[in-house]
Amino acid sequence: MLTGRNDGYGGDFHARLLRTLRFNHRELVARGITHEFVFVEWAPPVERPSLRDVLFDAAPELDRDRFAWYVVDPMYQTALSLNPRLEYLEFLAKNVGVRRARGQFVLTSNCDVYFGRRVLDAIGASELKPRVLYRAPRHDLNLSATSVPDWETLEDPASLAGPAHVLKPPFMGSATGDFAMLDRESFHEISGFNEVYRVARIGIDRNLLVKVLSSGFTIADIGGPVYHENHEGSYRLNPRAYEGRETEAPWGDRRWHSGGVGYVNPPTWGLQRAPARRLEDGAVRLDFTWEAVPSLVDLRGVVLPAARRGGPIPSQYVRKR
Amino acid sequence: MKRMISGLLAMFGLVPARRHQLLEERVEQAKRAAQEWKARASESMARAGKLEADLKQQTRHAQRSELYVTKMRERRESLRTRLIEAERELMVAREHLMAIEVKLDILEGAANVLDVRTRAAISQPHNQTSARA
Repeated sequence: MLTGRNDGYGGDFHARLLRTLRFNHRELVARGITHEFVFVEWAPPVERPSLRDVLFDAAPELDRDRFAWYVVDPMYQTALSLNPRLEYLEFLAKNVGVRRARGQFVLTSNCDVYFGRRVLDAIGASELKPRVLYRAPRHDLNLSATSVPDWETLEDPASLAGPAHVLKPPFMGSATGDFAMLDRESFHEISGFNEVYRVARIGIDRNLLVKVLSSGFTIADIGGPVYHENHEGSYRLNPRAYEGRETEAPWGDRRWHSGGVGYVNPPTWGLQRAPARRLEDGAVRLDFTWEAVPSLVDLRGVVLPAARRGGPIPSQYVRKR
Repeated sequence: MKRMISGLLAMFGLVPARRHQLLEERVEQAKRAAQEWKARASESMARAGKLEADLKQQTRHAQRSELYVTKMRERRESLRTRLIEAERELMVAREHLMAIEVKLDILEGAANVLDVRTRAAISQPHNQTSARA
């Protein structure tokens, strides 16, 4: 499950998307793993060609039938936003895909992530369990290649941009947005990512872990890393860029208590009520209607995590102001 | 000869003067030793009495200390229970505080968004609004 749009995010967005899609698709096919890419083109800019046109023109070998492509009306970005500095409500976009994904397991990832060998092996072995959220540590790479990298390049320690991330139990946090895999039924049971707190983009993936543990599921390391292609504008490259003026950050205030609260999404999460219209190229457009937009404020949707019943303590309180 | 005389005297219960003197000295010595031992015994008895009194006092003190230790242990347990309870309450309070701050973030965000929307609506020319003429 991926999301993006043709807005040049990170400088070279569709080239990165193309490289990772080609690589991941090739490796999934090589292992005989049945898969479908669910792509949500969230609030695409009207003045630019659609991302799918750019993508399929550049890579005609990609089979359109392998894609379930959703285009979300830009009005949803405006109507749902609780922070005008967030130009992309990434996790609402992911929820659109999670809600509509058809696979037995749903893997939410990003357009600059290559799946590692052990990750692919674990998926291919068909031994994944329900009610377990699978995580993979992220290895940030400085790749100068303009073509699809090979295994040697990906696995070369010299490509690492810094120390590899380590997943620490029980939360196994760190770059969760790059790899979170759960069976579809459980993803529906927890109603996807937090849709109530739309003030920040950062930390929403971590908040999913709190929800997962509070719901009685477990979190497990799938057994190997995913590889992230570093690019400009990435939060990881300079997380302290907005220190002292956190509220101005384009990803929102990173100090919000993402590790300390739970959430209850409305039953219509993932824009359930958005009218769907099939486009000529097979993509599905979700048209705008206020009916599909949840309330601007839903304070009952902010809940305490159920950690005190013997579970792990989700987070220490950190004073923000 | 000397032995024969001494034997004859002994038959009548008599001893030579020197021997008598010697024996008297020994008796005196034994008496002194007895006195000495008696004094020592008295001293020891007194000391034993004192030690016994001390022992009783120490026993009482030990009993008091034992009670004190038991009391302190109970107090420690009670403090520990209170500490655990306080930590739990602190955790709950922190969780509530976090939830409140998250709610405040949402309210602040909503207020800002509504402010922008209201300003935009007010700034629209009258003929573009749905206001009644």
